[in-house]
Amino acid sequence: MSNTDLVISISDLHKSYGQLDVLKGVTLNAKRGEVVSLIGSSGSGKSTLLRCANLLETPQQGDIVFKGEPVAWKGAGEARRPADTSQVLRIRTNLSMVFQQFNLWSHMTILQNVMEAPHSVLGRPKEDVKMAALAYLEKVGITEKADSYPAHLSGGQQQRAAIARALCMEPEALLFDEPTSALDPELEQEVIQVIKSLAKEGRTMLIVTHDMRLAWDVSDHVVFLNKGLIEEEGAPDDVFGHPKSERLQQFLKSTLAA
Amino acid sequence: MEELKRFLIFSFCSEPETLGNLQWLSCYLTTIKHSELYKSVFVVLLLLAITAPVSLMFGFGGAMAARSRIWVINGFGRLYIAIVRGVPDIAFFMFFVIALDQALEWLRHHTLCPDWSDAIWQGNDFVVCPEAKMPLSAASQWVHNSYSFALAILTFSIVFGAFAANVLFGAMRAVPGAQIETADAYGMTRRQTFWRIIVPQMWVYALPGLSNLWMILIKATPLLFLLGIEDIVYWARELGGSKTAKFTSYPHGDLRMWYFLALLVFYLAFTRISEIVLDRLMARLTFGQAITGGDSQRAGKT
Repeated sequence: MSNTDLVISISDLHKSYGQLDVLKGVTLNAKRGEVVSLIGSSGSGKSTLLRCANLLETPQQGDIVFKGEPVAWKGAGEARRPADTSQVLRIRTNLSMVFQQFNLWSHMTILQNVMEAPHSVLGRPKEDVKMAALAYLEKVGITEKADSYPAHLSGGQQQRAAIARALCMEPEALLFDEPTSALDPELEQEVIQVIKSLAKEGRTMLIVTHDMRLAWDVSDHVVFLNKGLIEEEGAPDDVFGHPKSERLQQFLKSTLAA
Repeated sequence: MEELKRFLIFSFCSEPETLGNLQWLSCYLTTIKHSELYKSVFVVLLLLAITAPVSLMFGFGGAMAARSRIWVINGFGRLYIAIVRGVPDIAFFMFFVIALDQALEWLRHHTLCPDWSDAIWQGNDFVVCPEAKMPLSAASQWVHNSYSFALAILTFSIVFGAFAANVLFGAMRAVPGAQIETADAYGMTRRQTFWRIIVPQMWVYALPGLSNLWMILIKATPLLFLLGIEDIVYWARELGGSKTAKFTSYPHGDLRMWYFLALLVFYLAFTRISEIVLDRLMARLTFGQAITGGDSQRAGKT
């Protein structure tokens, strides 16, 4: 496997908030076209790991390599920061994030939300971006909401719009941070359908989720995090079908029973 | 007599003593002296029209400075807000106008009259060469008026700018962190996030505070009197005081209560209209934003 096949490569990542150690040495790779799901109970560090990947959080220790290019750091420990702002922006524009609470910009219409970053950050011409944005809105099935404001959409529609916004960046990978956790079971399905169709297209995705069904269905690789460490990982059939560690067995029992 | 000159000519006004009540009133209210009152209404409106946007600009600058990561700018912004908010308006008005006036004259004195040998401070007197006077003593009346009006606008703007800065600073911080973090996640720079996300979204948080300030600004306009500008209150008192037949063709008793009542109505009507306009503005600026969206959804209006 050549280096460039790895879109994201995270090694020995440590992250703490003051006394609280959230990540205690996590290593994770996502190859091009691979769907990696991160599961684990609340507080296991899975969202923090995802947020470290696009540098919304700064790990105190460990390396992050984006398409063969290691993130440059300055300082150490609590004072550690990315050294190169333009590198940070380049990585972020290539790893588009979908948030649990959708986080659509509330003062813009859906279409403006989707067009915003490709136009203002990537500097692509407005007309091209508009065409692309409309195509992605159609893909997620909310073309008719293009001129509505986020507050006037249901949660499921908002999340689909947020996915269209992420897609319109034409990123190397999509990062999902519990994309269905804020949704009613009914609305959850419409988002899950979109994520499944993206997985089928062969997009690289990192998905943090509580939804074991989703993780089982779409993933190539499942990572079970427990207390800041990877407890178990593997193909979904192995992780869900034949969990080895006691902790994962317990976890699956409690989540599938719920 | 002076009062026989008028800015609106009614043919029946030539013999005021013989007129009935209504006609007397219409003649009385159209004397040249009363036109000064009407002019002062215009001056107040002009002051508001200029001061509001200028202090909003000062406020925006102050808020931006207070957010700055460069400590000199940050310190300046915070100092500006703290000082002006902490000092009573009247004290600031008195002090600032005199200080600014003297500072200007001091600067002009040193550039225009380098050969002047007398001290500027002679005991408690501040004496500069005639060429340095602001405005020149020979200047016509309108120059004097405009100068003091400009000083008034600057003073009002600095005072209200500090309050606006505080409101805007708070409003910028009230924009939800998730909105800003999303901008970060999509690769926006600090500057882009500020202009494209924070500024458009802050209005919904700023407007209640700003409309309050606007009301206070309206109510503060009588302070113009302190700056040597004859404002509405000055003229109401002047014109309302009792007049004997010796000095005017329109002798009357003490009418000040009525003049002030009219002022009351004027200010009340003005603030009421402002309220209506600001409410509409609020609805427009915040259209679609989460908190108003939520409200309108709750009310079943979507």
